[in-house]
Amino acid sequence: MSFEPKIIGFTCNWCSYAAADLAGVSRMQYPHNVRLVRVMCSGMVHPRVVSQAFEMGADGVLVMG
Amino acid sequence: MITLAEITDVTGEPGNFQVEVTRRPRFVDTEKCIACGLCAEKCPKKVDDEYNEKISKRKAVYIPYAQAVPQKYAIDADNCIYLKSGKCGACEKFCPAGAINFEDKPQTVNLNVGAIILSPGFAAFDPTGIRTWGYGEFKNVITAMEMERILSASGPTEGHLVRPSDKKEVKRIAFIQCVGSRDLNKSRNGYCSSVCCTYAIKQAMMAKDHVKDLEASIFFMDMRTHGKEFERYYERAKGLGIEFKRCRVHSLEPVSETSDIYFRYIDDCGRQLETQYDLVVLSVGLCTPPSAMELAYHAGVELNENRFVESSSFDPVATSRPGVFSCGAFSGPKDIPQTVMEASAAAADATRLLAGARNSLTRTKEFPPEIEVASDEVRIGVFICHCGTNIAGVIDVERLARYAETLPNVAHVGRNLFTCSQDTQDIIKNAIRDKGLNRVVVAACTPRTHEPLFRETLKSAGLNEYLFDMANIRNQDSWVHAAEPERATEKAMDLVRMSVAKVGLLTPLPSISVPVNQAALVIGGGISGMVSALELADHGFHVSLVEKANVLGGQARHLFRTWKGELIEPALQELDARVRSNPLITLHLESTVGSAEGFVGNFKSTIVRGKDSRVVEHGATIIATGGQGYVPEGEYLFGTSSRVFTAIEFDKLRMVGDRRMKQAKNYVFIQCVGSRCEERMYCSRVCCTHSVQAAIELKESSPAGEVFVLYRDMRTYGQREELYRKAREKGVVFIHYEAHQMPKVRPLEPRRLEVEVFDHILHEPLRIVTDIVVLATAITPNAATAELADIYKLPVDADGFFQEAHAKLRPVDFAADGIFMAGLAHCPKPVDESIAQAKAAAGRAVSVLAGSSIDLEATKATVVNANCDGCAMCLDVCPYKAISLVSEEEAGGKRNARVEVNLAQCKGCGLCQATCPKDGIYVAGFSLEQIAAQVEAALAG
Amino acid sequence: MSEQVKGSVLIAGGGIAGMQAALDAANSGFYVYLLERRAAIGGKMAQLDKTFPTNDCAM
Repeated sequence: MSFEPKIIGFTCNWCSYAAADLAGVSRMQYPHNVRLVRVMCSGMVHPRVVSQAFEMGADGVLVMG
Repeated sequence: MITLAEITDVTGEPGNFQVEVTRRPRFVDTEKCIACGLCAEKCPKKVDDEYNEKISKRKAVYIPYAQAVPQKYAIDADNCIYLKSGKCGACEKFCPAGAINFEDKPQTVNLNVGAIILSPGFAAFDPTGIRTWGYGEFKNVITAMEMERILSASGPTEGHLVRPSDKKEVKRIAFIQCVGSRDLNKSRNGYCSSVCCTYAIKQAMMAKDHVKDLEASIFFMDMRTHGKEFERYYERAKGLGIEFKRCRVHSLEPVSETSDIYFRYIDDCGRQLETQYDLVVLSVGLCTPPSAMELAYHAGVELNENRFVESSSFDPVATSRPGVFSCGAFSGPKDIPQTVMEASAAAADATRLLAGARNSLTRTKEFPPEIEVASDEVRIGVFICHCGTNIAGVIDVERLARYAETLPNVAHVGRNLFTCSQDTQDIIKNAIRDKGLNRVVVAACTPRTHEPLFRETLKSAGLNEYLFDMANIRNQDSWVHAAEPERATEKAMDLVRMSVAKVGLLTPLPSISVPVNQAALVIGGGISGMVSALELADHGFHVSLVEKANVLGGQARHLFRTWKGELIEPALQELDARVRSNPLITLHLESTVGSAEGFVGNFKSTIVRGKDSRVVEHGATIIATGGQGYVPEGEYLFGTSSRVFTAIEFDKLRMVGDRRMKQAKNYVFIQCVGSRCEERMYCSRVCCTHSVQAAIELKESSPAGEVFVLYRDMRTYGQREELYRKAREKGVVFIHYEAHQMPKVRPLEPRRLEVEVFDHILHEPLRIVTDIVVLATAITPNAATAELADIYKLPVDADGFFQEAHAKLRPVDFAADGIFMAGLAHCPKPVDESIAQAKAAAGRAVSVLAGSSIDLEATKATVVNANCDGCAMCLDVCPYKAISLVSEEEAGGKRNARVEVNLAQCKGCGLCQATCPKDGIYVAGFSLEQIAAQVEAALAG
Repeated sequence: MSEQVKGSVLIAGGGIAGMQAALDAANSGFYVYLLERRAAIGGKMAQLDKTFPTNDCAM
């Protein structure tokens, strides 16, 4: 079986989360591996949460804002 | 809200009208109807569905469309078997709610209101029976409204682009422009419908999106993409390979065997050509429907010869009857943003008359007292939305629901066709009450659009509105993984699990409100700024009006007439006098805004005048700082020849009776100077109309002189088209040129110039000898735009104009609350549209200033006193300066430092939370613990 | 102009224009009657698939 990475994305409500919504509106298709967590600003994501994500088994973390 | 209702009589006077309203029977009791749809399922009578432009069928008992408000059925009396013949009654038998009432009768309701706004909209032109296009005769010739439904995922073909005759996928499609517009032969409509060019581009683009190798052609006379960002859209369409053919279509005929459509047309070189298409879309125009003409009659409002409401450029939403206003396509064909602006303007003007009676008849919504849940066991309700087929067509919602039931603390799972519908709100409320739910998760579209609705539902069920989370299983799942239903379902399960994990940790948050300073600041004393200031003052609010020049009037001081022919200067003088004499307006001339701080309801701006500066406090801000004329950089001998002018110079010189103008016989106007080019990829909207109007005046004052207009696309949109027709009748010569073959201007002899332009019909260069060349120059942003963008942290678009919050629905708002825009600072526009936007901006500001306080989001930084040691690292990172350091004395006399948050200034961004090394501050609703719980849940699958 | 001014507005037509006018008037402190000729509000815009120039969903 091929490797299926698990990716956590922290997305800002005002820009990248909105962009992810827009990707849907435009029916863009992308891989299903990413799970987005909505935050009010990418700046609120404490570095500790990022390291926790890796500890919990994430293969990649995206912070978008 | 009163549906199936029409005005049948209006008496009384402004401020106090008696209106007779006739309500047609619905035959369904809206109080009882639960919109279950059983009636429609059992109804034996099929009727053409007008929502889908009659491409599909509905029943005689129906709901107009899936998201309809109110979400209640109605019986169509013209088609109901029972109402026609007394037999059937199936719906009544099967309705579980007993909502069917065949005895329902027309009702007359008398309403007593202060003002009336008419917004009946438009009808699409019906091309049935007109030989040229064969609509109604050939199955594969359809109208744009039908195309709109075919392209729609919720439409009759579920968004598959197939043609009506044989359901074959369309490979070659043609759009024909100006069907029922700019045409007095085949229709009665001489005007341009203003929106069809851009909507045809949109449909062609969407069609190409549906069928990858689709060949799409648009047959047009002039491509009128004159709105904000439309020109770039047009360029994008060209880049996508959509063909634009400038020509007249001669006739359409079916190719008998295949039901393709055979096309004959004459191209811009005069060649006769023939081709074949699978499907032909007629870009039908906008016209006033008979029902709207009836409305005008009953309301006592006059219509013009085009059957639109006639209005003055200076009072664009007024009608012939005082106290009655109009907005939208009823007063002329227009697009959505212009319609929304006029709607806000009409609301502002209507309520201005009634300012004294503000809040006299309104009630504030009462919510039941909040149920205390903090210490209760967590009981989560999960509501999964099908969104019609948007979600359920991809995701296995049944499996998702079964899965949600297994998650910890989930006490109830429900599925709904449309979770956003009104009846589902009742379902959610009942579930909260009956199942004792104290947390709610909705798995549906996006919280960005629907979170407020569901929060309100929680509130009305007595639950704190923050005990809620949404799982985005549409925009970020079913729509983006449409080809992988299995994966999409798994992802939906993860997303629901994440929301359930988060919502269990949420705690009730108290509501916060801030007082509103009920005064406004208007920046810019041009025509827009003056109109905004007066509108606000008439509503009873104090206004500070800031203008950098020592006079009021802005760019309008250089203009001569509106397109309707009204003189601008007298109107400006009147506005000037009204502004100066209004006791509620404080005028700051030769002043600018130097700096600003604050937020909606509470702004503080520093007004600078020379060395003086003063701070004004205001609750709302309107930016109307205008634009400027483009100064040609040597194009067409500008600056070299004393006989080449910009349009504004030309107007001025004619007004003062300059000798060059008096002696000249021949004139050449060159359009698009500085517009629609690489540096400024936008249309300046006003220049075509201005040149045409000037050309008519020149022809009228000296019919023997020759007037030429060299243009790329003649954009006399809407009812301005009549000026274009009149100019041609008067003998003005219009010559089309292409961007790659720009006209050339050469000095010929003293006081004469030669203009060379490539004539497409003769296929050779044409030389025109002229006395004067007038350049129709662009409107560009001015320096104030960038300065204020910086001061108020506002976005500007790629062309340097201010960026509105939403291109269609919020054309006067900035994304930041409490700040609005009007006039040229937003984009190029003529005087009437600037005034409409100025009134709209004032109206939007009134909706902020009308209340004495505003409720704020409770998502704010919260200090954990036990952990905070006052290290103050968060003070430096806070972009809103919302955090301050305080110290307090403990019992033992020891001083303790910690931080404090100003809730009104805090935007809940959480930079503090990410910076704090001691967990001393967090954002309510987005704490690190809650975020981590979501991550953990995401990875647990 | 009447001496007894009513704090209410009647809006005839529940399309995008009527809805926006209704929201603005109501948010400014006036009672609004929104009249619609058909069985549901929404008007022509509710029939549109997408809107230009952003291709946003019209619904």
